[in-house]
Amino acid sequence: MERRTLLGGTITAAVLGLTFGLTSAAFAQQPPIKIGMSMAQTGGLAGGGKASQLGIEVWRDDVNARGGLLGRKVELIVYDDKSSASETPAIYSKLLDVDKVDILFAPYATVPTAPLMPLVKQRGMLLMGNFSFQVNSKVGHDMWFNNAPWGPADSWASSFLDLGQKAGGKTIALLAADQEFAQNLAKTAREVATKLGMKIVFDQAYPPSTVEFSGILRALKAAKPDIVYVASYPPDSAGILRGVNEIGIGDNVKLFGGGMVGLQFGAVMENLGSLLNGVVNYNTWLPEPSMYHEGTKAFFETYTKRAVEAKVDPLGYYLAPYGYASGQMIEQAIKAVGSLDQKALAKYLRENTHKTIVGPITFAADGEWKESGVVQAQFRGIADKNMEQFRSSGKQVVLFPDKMKSGTLVTPFEAARK
Amino acid sequence: MKRNGVFFWVGAAVFLIAIALMTKLITNEYPFFAGYVILQFIVLAVAWSILGGHAGYVNFGTSAFFGMGVYTAVFLFKVAGAPLLVQIAAAAAVGALMGFALGLLTLRMQGIFFSIATIALTIVIETSITNWRYVGGAAGIQLQRPPVTWPFSGYVQMLFFVQAVLVVLAVVVSRYIQNSWIGRGLQALRDDELAAECTGVPTLRLKVLACVVSGALMCAAGAPAAMYLQYADPSSAFNLNYSVSTLAMSLIGGTAHWAGPIVGAILLGTTQQLLTVTISSEVNVLVLGVMLVLFVVAAPEGLIGLLRRVRDKRREGKQ
Repeated sequence: MERRTLLGGTITAAVLGLTFGLTSAAFAQQPPIKIGMSMAQTGGLAGGGKASQLGIEVWRDDVNARGGLLGRKVELIVYDDKSSASETPAIYSKLLDVDKVDILFAPYATVPTAPLMPLVKQRGMLLMGNFSFQVNSKVGHDMWFNNAPWGPADSWASSFLDLGQKAGGKTIALLAADQEFAQNLAKTAREVATKLGMKIVFDQAYPPSTVEFSGILRALKAAKPDIVYVASYPPDSAGILRGVNEIGIGDNVKLFGGGMVGLQFGAVMENLGSLLNGVVNYNTWLPEPSMYHEGTKAFFETYTKRAVEAKVDPLGYYLAPYGYASGQMIEQAIKAVGSLDQKALAKYLRENTHKTIVGPITFAADGEWKESGVVQAQFRGIADKNMEQFRSSGKQVVLFPDKMKSGTLVTPFEAARK
Repeated sequence: MKRNGVFFWVGAAVFLIAIALMTKLITNEYPFFAGYVILQFIVLAVAWSILGGHAGYVNFGTSAFFGMGVYTAVFLFKVAGAPLLVQIAAAAAVGALMGFALGLLTLRMQGIFFSIATIALTIVIETSITNWRYVGGAAGIQLQRPPVTWPFSGYVQMLFFVQAVLVVLAVVVSRYIQNSWIGRGLQALRDDELAAECTGVPTLRLKVLACVVSGALMCAAGAPAAMYLQYADPSSAFNLNYSVSTLAMSLIGGTAHWAGPIVGAILLGTTQQLLTVTISSEVNVLVLGVMLVLFVVAAPEGLIGLLRRVRDKRREGKQ
């Protein structure tokens, strides 16, 4: 090679390198878009919190692989709120005043979220909710958007009682844990039952630490209800199903379940196995053909791989896709608005329908879904100790809503159990 | 007044002035949110050590008193929109009554039996509140703060200052008890209750008094928490974490001197706040556990005890 060519080549390479270096430096100098949140990583809500966080992390990696937002990388700042309400005000103040985050996501569940609502309202910040229940009803923050498909407060109970009524049910028994979420469900169930003209023949709250349900179940059985609406938490859900298995529930019962938390988590489902058969319970996502949308399959492929490393719920149907959907909604809003202006983002989220992996989402004025996306599904043909069975369709048949229906109800409950 | 006393009162005044200046000079709200929690734990730890330290009666019911303070405030706010000071004063009165009842009912039990009874108290009260729909019941209750009172610029700043005043109040009471006949009587019954009784120390009266004072302060510390969180639910308000942390703070700081719980609460409270926003995972629970074990093994009398031992050894060395 001639000396001049070599010199020319070197200079060109140097200039190119310098230009490239400068551009990439300029790109790198762009600060990331910070999304701040607290999440239950320890304490009672940790199982759900971690799965939800993994869903959001999968979205972050996807969006960064696509080049980020507004030419900036997306970064998550997450602190542990220990599942407690008393931790979140300080954490969110740190996120806002010290970390100076651009967007806020709410922690998983109602209790840690409740103390934040006045704070974000006062600061004029948008808050993407994460599976809390009616947390904005008293505060009335117009920049709150819940990712959970609850919809109007009573839609949950009405979907279940509607099924019961269609199956010929006239009387109802309520069994609810003495805890925030379960009591909210029981309250709406009472209202809906009255509206539908159903008679409440049994209404019992039990302390959250109850492990032995045979006494309560015997009393319930004696009331001979047609429908049994249960609002329980994971440990008691298991206790109640074990009790039902031992002493039965009576031939009258056409529909059993409704609001049992825990029957959505892989480990609990694997543990209960065949005891689940016949139970009709709420859910948010199930591997039924009607519930797949654009990106859903790809999401679960990534989630399933990463869940093993992260040691979280291997199925992750309940919360994780909704964490991803929160990210998708904020992504669409930022892209459409072209800035991080909170008011403009909130206006966009309020006025448009958003395409997500859990289906299209439209918000009502209170920041909840305009139309409920909660499904009621019946467990069928479940075998003991087998996690993988829950990945195939037909194990949880969707009965409600009609547009997602994948089967019909098997009644009475005692027959469906077999 | 003795030199020690002058130092104490000057120190307390300087502390309050510094807190007041902070609320004026610092615009970032985070230090107030985090600082409030630390101050709240100082009051709880100091109050706990009045019974737990001086009298040696280990009370696991801190969360019962704290939660009762929270719910007294919630009730008064809901019923009459009572201002913060009324909420705190009423909570103190309720706490004193609760302490009196607890004292009468349980102080005839000693050692571990008393401790178990205090755990039962938490459960009984939590269950009652859970079933009381007027204050939100199991679902909890959201509260809207009233406008802030002059001269404060924000509600959190005001709560921070109010909690600081409670700290001073608690420390003054605890120091007075330690240095007066009450403290000497309590120490006597801690060492040997029977011997104290025989030498004319009115043990039951003293224990009930300690219970009343300790309960009033704990409840008062809980009252502002309702407005701090603007939300109350039984599982958070009666969280056993308050009992465990308070106990750990007093033990780590040392219960033999009124300053022990303050040192413990500052150390542990700050560590907890820092860990929450740094490591922030299961590890922070582990770090606290390890800290507690280390202190129990290496400094059974707490930091104050450790300092005393070091000072005594130095003196011996000089002689």
